[in-house]
Amino acid sequence: MSAAGKKAIGAPGYGVVEWISTACRFATDRNDFRRNLLVNLGLFAAGVWVARNLSDFDLMSPQPII
Amino acid sequence: RKSETLHYVCYSILRLVWLHKTDGYLSVLAASSPPPPGSVVVQGAPGLVSVPPGFSMPSVPPPSVPGQPAGETGSPLPNPGTYEECHRKCKEVFPIQMEGVRLVVNKGLSNHFQVSHTVTLSTLAESGYRFGATYVGTQQTGPAESFPVMVGDMDNTGSLNAQVIHQLTSAVRSKIAIQTQQHKFVNWQCDMEYRGDDFTSAVTLGNPDVLLGSGIIVAHYLQSISPALALGGELVYHRRPGEEGAVTSLMGRYTGNNYVATLTLGGAGAHATYYHRANDQLQLGVEFEGSMRTQETAVSFGYQLDLPKANLLFKGSVDSNWVVGAVLEKKLLPLPLSLALGAFLNQKKNKFQCGFNVTVG
Repeated sequence: MSAAGKKAIGAPGYGVVEWISTACRFATDRNDFRRNLLVNLGLFAAGVWVARNLSDFDLMSPQPII
Repeated sequence: RKSETLHYVCYSILRLVWLHKTDGYLSVLAASSPPPPGSVVVQGAPGLVSVPPGFSMPSVPPPSVPGQPAGETGSPLPNPGTYEECHRKCKEVFPIQMEGVRLVVNKGLSNHFQVSHTVTLSTLAESGYRFGATYVGTQQTGPAESFPVMVGDMDNTGSLNAQVIHQLTSAVRSKIAIQTQQHKFVNWQCDMEYRGDDFTSAVTLGNPDVLLGSGIIVAHYLQSISPALALGGELVYHRRPGEEGAVTSLMGRYTGNNYVATLTLGGAGAHATYYHRANDQLQLGVEFEGSMRTQETAVSFGYQLDLPKANLLFKGSVDSNWVVGAVLEKKLLPLPLSLALGAFLNQKKNKFQCGFNVTVG
């Protein structure tokens, strides 16, 4: 009874830990197509953001005089 | 399913050969060639820029007759270009993998004719010599366009690549391409393109064989919806004795002030490109490819640095398969020499490849 009670009290915490470990396994499984698709879509969005926001520099501008 | 993949791969290779040769034709027109002796400088009307020898001013269309109501003279939407060109701007930013040594000597014999000699030394591919010739005709349709264009090259084993492009009417353009491996015909295709006011349609017939009853037909259509948005589609139909199939895909392209975003969705997968022109020196490209057949996806990020004052062009790329590559091109003025150094490193497979090209003329 006490063991069953302890398990009932710890069930939500056990579910969260299991969800986190499943998510970690999904995120690190390089053979999973859906995982690779999500990662690469995120990289594509990051690349577009970098291209739009971090590319405004002029290479031929004169050096700043301190 | 395997045959569908095989035919789609064949079509993709045909398209790549086509695009490569068309790029070669454009660079020929830009290449310097000695003006023929006795050429006359054509002077424009007072106030206009004088034209260099060998060229002529494009004809100016007559003004519209007064009294015609506005809006009837033509569609306000621009022609969207061709279907293949939509992803090209982004693709051109990425460096090309180079291996071994290549020496290219280009010689313009006249304003219409140019020959090239290419010597290739390589450990992975076959080393050899290739002779190329390009003829540009006298029918001028634009400031940098003349037809017909005939491009051909043959290597020391007798393998031939040849292409003929001709403008049949003001709106219809045709192309014929042939590729042989020594004495055997590998690829032969015919292409017809119609450019309307706000749309472009094209039909390509690839490797038709009447005796076997096989071939590939590709149809493209691209329509301007607004000055910035163009939508289109592609249909690939292939036939072989005993089997046939079709693959369709849809494409959308959005053009901004300094960027172009293109997305292609089809049975083969998805292809998205984003091209951004940051300034006159820096261009960036991001590419995403995903295939449901092979269950693979990949992302590439590339950039191009153009410093004309230093006669330098640098392209770099990195992708999700842990491949890093770069190509440096430098013009060695005042000599008519151009040197290109390239290197590609595959971190995952621990492979390295480098090469350099020297171009004369």
